[in-house]
Amino acid sequence: MTDDIEQVAQRYSRYTAIGAVVIAAVWHTGYDLTVTVTGWQSFRWPALAAAAWVVYTAIGVVAALAMLRGSRPPARARALAVAVLAVDVAVIVSCRPEDLLGPIDWGWGSVGWLGVLLVWNRPRRRRDLMVFLAANAGIMLAAMAVTGTYDRVSIAKYLVVMVGAVTLQLGYLAGCHTLRERAEDAVLLARRLASDDAWRESARRIHADRLHRYAVIRDAAESLLKELADGADPGDPRVRADCTAGAMRLRRLITEREDVPDELVSALRERIDAAERRRVLVTAPPFGEHLPHLPDGVREDLLRAPIRALDGARSRARVTVSAMSTMVSVAVVADNDDLPISATSVREPSGVVVTYQRQEGEVWINSIWQGP
Amino acid sequence: MDQQHLAGPVTVALVEDHQVVVDGVRSWFAPPGPVELVAQGPTIESVRDVPADVLLLDLHLNGTMVIDRVAELCGGGQRVIVFSEHEEPETVRVVLDAGASAFIGKGRATRESCLETVLEVAADRPSVTPPMAQAIATDESPHRPQLSDKERAALLFWFQSMSKASVAARMGIKERTVRQYIDRARVKYAAAGRPAPTKEKLLICAIQDGLIRPDEVKVYTSLAARAGEEPVPSEEARGPR
Repeated sequence: MTDDIEQVAQRYSRYTAIGAVVIAAVWHTGYDLTVTVTGWQSFRWPALAAAAWVVYTAIGVVAALAMLRGSRPPARARALAVAVLAVDVAVIVSCRPEDLLGPIDWGWGSVGWLGVLLVWNRPRRRRDLMVFLAANAGIMLAAMAVTGTYDRVSIAKYLVVMVGAVTLQLGYLAGCHTLRERAEDAVLLARRLASDDAWRESARRIHADRLHRYAVIRDAAESLLKELADGADPGDPRVRADCTAGAMRLRRLITEREDVPDELVSALRERIDAAERRRVLVTAPPFGEHLPHLPDGVREDLLRAPIRALDGARSRARVTVSAMSTMVSVAVVADNDDLPISATSVREPSGVVVTYQRQEGEVWINSIWQGP
Repeated sequence: MDQQHLAGPVTVALVEDHQVVVDGVRSWFAPPGPVELVAQGPTIESVRDVPADVLLLDLHLNGTMVIDRVAELCGGGQRVIVFSEHEEPETVRVVLDAGASAFIGKGRATRESCLETVLEVAADRPSVTPPMAQAIATDESPHRPQLSDKERAALLFWFQSMSKASVAARMGIKERTVRQYIDRARVKYAAAGRPAPTKEKLLICAIQDGLIRPDEVKVYTSLAARAGEEPVPSEEARGPR
């Protein structure tokens, strides 16, 4: 799931980064280049303006490549930001004072887009961009102070351009960030819904399975009660054994608590049910809720020998499972007379160790897996 | 409540809301015998006024789990044996941590095993039933005691085998040594986790019996002086002497 979210986040980051690069490139070629060429005669030092345009382009290419390669800010972004502000100053200096707020002074309205590229994906990008834009605004204000451009029209122009540029640049950055966050939220929500569906489906299966087993036990209990009502002797060992077996099965159903069926537990339950159908009295304490994930082949090796012992039980068996985060132990004690016994422990290829012991008419088969 | 001196039958109070279980337990403890059932009722309150050496407590009373009452009972010094079909290790660990002296699983209880557990608990001696063995052996909580590999193996094998004799055969040691491993693990478990008067009695008795030395269970020596503080887990076990 984390991988999916990361992929979505990267995709959104990449496409919004491409958007930022395209905006900066279109602005820089469509407006900055046009006014530099068409206003060439109006500049005080046109070569300086052209050099500033080239430097701007170079920094833009470096930032764009870094973003598009890894959606990360370029190395030495702070130094590049200072260089961008120097471009801003160079364009101002290249203009005559009367053109400070004119169309040919393209720097102060344009450098903000380079700022957006340079702070892209930085941890505190919004704050960094605001600092950058404030510096840009400060430089322009200083230039106005130096040239004595205090008239109302100039100040109004300054405010309009500055507010417009800042709104667009900050807005784009914030919008992209919000878009990415919402996309991640959507993926999380979708995964949660899928997980809820899976859980609901597994709960439905468990419930159906329990209803079925309750029905089977109810039938058995009904016939037993009928037998007793018809005069069966409660002291008869067979009747008592049937009552005990029914009580054991009911008790197991009552103490089952898992929400998701574990494959190892399901396999054991199936064999326990089969043994009970053969009138074997099976005791099985609760198997626990937190069995660890088992590598391939381990479950089969853990179950093989104990299930063979259970399948061959004559009249009684005890099935136990013990688990820790890196250990699972499955054991069966049964009155199985025919099971071949190995005198020494058997190590399976999966690492499961199986031990056999026969004592006083019972076998004890224990398979243990120890994880790394 | 003082340690039982075997001057008479051990007295037991039973909290159980199913009459069929009450009748079964009453038949187990029918006189003459080493254990006498002196009180019985469907709620804890219904037996609290009758002093008894041991309280036998069903965890599921009238549709409600009463796990959270165990600490309160043990805090008053009452020896409690939980008697329940909820044998899952998590539940067993909670009641042991709360100070219960033992846990008997209803699924496998017999008259003999129940009597043995009651007598051991009444004498403040370590008693480890199979569900307890599993719960102690598989505990992975931060406050678990440090068990030796052999102690853990003895506990797990005891839970999963047919008898302590089979555990002894599997481990290639004497049955008496198996008992020592299991009992030492139980005492270490009593030393870890939250303090309770019932655990202190068990530790005192274990030291008197030479099952452990005081310096092997560091928490014991500081329990009285530092009641309420976070206990220190016991040291790694040494082999039985």
